[in-house]
Amino acid sequence: MKHEIRYKPSFAAIFVTLNPGESITAEAGAMISSDAQISMATHFSGGFLSALLKKFFGGESLFVNTFTNATEQAKQLVFSQPAIGDIACIELRGNSICFQPGAYIAHTPGVRMGVRWAGVASWLAGEGLFKLKLSGNGLVFFGAYGGITEKRITSEFVVDSGHLVAYEPGIKMSVGMAGGVFGSVTSGEGFVNRLSGEGVIYLQSRSMDGLVRFLGPKFR
Amino acid sequence: MNVEILQRPDCAIARVTLNAGEKLMAEAGSMIAMSGYINASTTLRKGKGGGILGGLKRMLAGESLFLSDFRSPTAGGEVFLAPKLLGDILSYPVSDTGLVVQATSYLASESGVDIDLGWQGFKSLFSGENIFWLDISGRGTVLLSSFGAIYQVPVDGEYIVDTGHIVAFEKSLTFNVTKSGSSWIGSLLGMGGEGLVCRFKGQGRVFCQTHNPNAFGQLVGSQLPVKSQ
Repeated sequence: MKHEIRYKPSFAAIFVTLNPGESITAEAGAMISSDAQISMATHFSGGFLSALLKKFFGGESLFVNTFTNATEQAKQLVFSQPAIGDIACIELRGNSICFQPGAYIAHTPGVRMGVRWAGVASWLAGEGLFKLKLSGNGLVFFGAYGGITEKRITSEFVVDSGHLVAYEPGIKMSVGMAGGVFGSVTSGEGFVNRLSGEGVIYLQSRSMDGLVRFLGPKFR
Repeated sequence: MNVEILQRPDCAIARVTLNAGEKLMAEAGSMIAMSGYINASTTLRKGKGGGILGGLKRMLAGESLFLSDFRSPTAGGEVFLAPKLLGDILSYPVSDTGLVVQATSYLASESGVDIDLGWQGFKSLFSGENIFWLDISGRGTVLLSSFGAIYQVPVDGEYIVDTGHIVAFEKSLTFNVTKSGSSWIGSLLGMGGEGLVCRFKGQGRVFCQTHNPNAFGQLVGSQLPVKSQ
């Protein structure tokens, strides 16, 4: 399989070439165009129960589609996301990655999809009770609203809620105020995610929440 | 007429330079700036796809009832055009082949280009997306806009595109709106999320946009407060 992410960072789209016999699984609705000979099968993402959990608590859709090239020639397909912004690809080698709701786009065979209890803290921060967790060996694609910044953390790290896109499962999350109750209210930082542990996190440079908060009051 | 597209692909803007007496038709509201001596008027286009009926048809297609009409008395008159959303602009030379354009992607055209509402619209009634297509014929340059970047696919055989991501396609292609997966039930319930797609057949080019304005609108709109009456 070959892949290329074009039109970075604002309008990133994934151009995938599947060799004969290869397949790729993607979030429902992510496929924007493809060669007609590629076959598509719809199934529950990671089994019925975990699909339901994801749908109602994790903000992901109930279904994923698996695209398979059953022909003798290489075939192309293109994926993107509803939000405008960047897309990143990471390779899993036996490790795992957790996604915030809506970030997941696609993965190759060898990667398992599951849900992980994210904790009440995450739910209070408006990030959902369950997190999508992908583990195994293969490629995973995810998208963001805005640009994607990779950061390795080794100790406590604070992220504004709505800006965390993905993180390694070794990282713990707790809700906090940016600097005391008074400071949080006056600085406009509101709730933040207090991360601890070691691992890589991915940040998005804009937040959908921010856009909604900007547009909301202008609606009359 | 000379077209130069600047600020690609995120915030594209078209700079059109007109020769003496040349005329440019554009989607109403798309003009951003122009030379002071250019004669601008608003028309219901005459001829094929024109007049009151043509205008009403365009309105059904999600386009404005009116077209703006720019004429330069001398050579070198400039008109700057841009769509409302972020995205790219494509300049396409219309030839005998003809082009079918998704209604909201039309930005502007030279006077030799005819715009009509395509009958193909009825075939896509079930798609739940943009129902109407514009049928572009004649000769000259047409400018199209997209939400996101535009990529073109040279189709030879069969190709599938999600209905919300089509900007335009050449008329040498035939198409039908179809299910994307293996079961009709799944597609109709929107189970796969891909809903219905356009299946193109033949030889010709399809122009796709990387993002779907309606999907983005839903993403943001669903979180906005309810409009107070």
